Amino acid sequence: MAEPTPLLQVRGLTRRFGGLLAVSDLDLAVYPGEILGLIGPNGAGKSTTFAMIAGAIAPSAGEIFFKGQSLTGQPTHAFAARGIVRTFQHNKPFDSMGIEENVMVGMHTQIKHGLWQVVLGTAQARASERAARDKARHWIDFVGLSEYAQAPVGTLSFGQGRLLEIARGLAAQPELMLFDEPAAGLTSAECGRLAEIIRGIAAQGIAVLLIEHDMPFLMALAQRVVVLNFGEKIAQGSPVEVQSDPAVVAAYLGQVKVGHA
Amino acid sequence: MKRTWPWLLALVLLSGVAFAMGSYQNDVYRKLLLWITLALGYNFLFGIAGQVAFSHFSFYGLGAYSVVIGITYLGWPLPLAILVSAAFCMAVALLVAIPATRLEGFYLALATLAFAQLFIVLLNEGGQVTGGTGGLANYRLPDMAGFRITGPAYTVVIVVLMLSTLAILLRLDRSHFGRACRAARDNPEAAAAMGVDVRRTRILAYTLTSTLAGLAGMVYAFVDNTVNPTIFGLENVFLLLFMIIIGGIGRAAGAVVGAVLLYLLPFVLSPLIGHHHALVFGLVMVLVVLFQPKGLMGVWDALLARRSPVARNHVDKGAKVQAHG
Repeated sequence: MAEPTPLLQVRGLTRRFGGLLAVSDLDLAVYPGEILGLIGPNGAGKSTTFAMIAGAIAPSAGEIFFKGQSLTGQPTHAFAARGIVRTFQHNKPFDSMGIEENVMVGMHTQIKHGLWQVVLGTAQARASERAARDKARHWIDFVGLSEYAQAPVGTLSFGQGRLLEIARGLAAQPELMLFDEPAAGLTSAECGRLAEIIRGIAAQGIAVLLIEHDMPFLMALAQRVVVLNFGEKIAQGSPVEVQSDPAVVAAYLGQVKVGHA
Repeated sequence: MKRTWPWLLALVLLSGVAFAMGSYQNDVYRKLLLWITLALGYNFLFGIAGQVAFSHFSFYGLGAYSVVIGITYLGWPLPLAILVSAAFCMAVALLVAIPATRLEGFYLALATLAFAQLFIVLLNEGGQVTGGTGGLANYRLPDMAGFRITGPAYTVVIVVLMLSTLAILLRLDRSHFGRACRAARDNPEAAAAMGVDVRRTRILAYTLTSTLAGLAGMVYAFVDNTVNPTIFGLENVFLLLFMIIIGGIGRAAGAVVGAVLLYLLPFVLSPLIGHHHALVFGLVMVLVVLFQPKGLMGVWDALLARRSPVARNHVDKGAKVQAHG
């Protein structure tokens, strides 16, 4: 059987901050519908790698291919249009808008009618606005916030804010969704719900890449794990393989108690 | 059709009023309508797109001057002068926006203040073209197809301008563009991650609202039939700022209320306290910023919430959600 083509292919990815080499010559592939975990001790280069794949910072060297096209040199907003969206570790909602509007911002790249159609109030503009609102309700429902659809963002708890981030990202119809420590700051009940949602996302064929500090959460969720240390990949494989890898144990897991092994 | 009849009703009512007024009242009414038009545009730029720009009144002046220069100095027919002036305002707005929207907050304020000052200097030094410090006068609205639009009929033109500005801005506000503007203001990083081109959105918001101010300026040029540098000075852009803050920043209704109140207040206060009304403005401004940052619309919301059980439920629900989390 032929090797399936990766959705995201990262080659030789490197990022320097002054004299510091945060990520060095990293190769990484993400396949459609899989959940890939990216882990490593503090300062291993996880966040930098994440930021480069999300388009938030530019690599110093190396290339990012998405669906066979190079994303190198593209501005941040172009990443969402191509099908890569992210959540933020510290929720970043649009405070002045309601929950529904927040999710509708996620649909920005899919709204094709121009401003002149908005100004003239054409039938197409009105229909696509209605469709966007319906879709927003669908994603709000998917993450379980439908009770609050009309509420202002400020009334949500931190955990609900995280769900809003996810709904907003899904609204962009991504093919790859990046999660930046999604379990951080959540209660264990909320973590359970989150894991369910992330599995639901992957089940729709959307690839998931997550960086996470919560090892039990990640190991139970990810099908494949990539381990970074000092900006370099030191291991990859299934959660079980990775946890028994001596290099990984030495670098990282030795310091942390691992559940679900 | 259900959507158009309130607009038609507003057009008929607001225009009808003009025919019941004398020429002095018409003059006051026209300027009030123009202030509302400007406040609506400024509210979009400052209140919705979050751009602390002080160039709005300069574009009002740019529109006024360019249409007058078009019909007098260049001798163009009015429709051509209007088209070229609108294109000119748009081009200048783009030229300012492309570098200025790279700046944020304080620096954008400084850059646009500099532009506003430069505009006044250019008007003063413009020699024959701008009429220097004395400005331009001795012109009037050219006849259109043999008709001369004067008196209340010209007030109708201004009503149409104001209502069209309101309709355009409301539609933009409720569209993906309005959401992109708010998103870029609330959290540019998250907006970009959601695919919003933050810079393009800012440039568009600035150019659109500035061009609308230019259009209002073109209409204003034939209200007093004179344009001069003092009219378009910095003092007025701050009055515009007061209007939207006191009315309720980010809301079209707030801009209307603020403009009506601050424009009419001197007429009420002047007989009582002379030119000290600026003092009253300052005081009201401080009180609003201290006690009700959402302005008079915030006061209105609070009153509504107290009166109506539905609104109260909504507030309660908000509280419950918070408790829930």
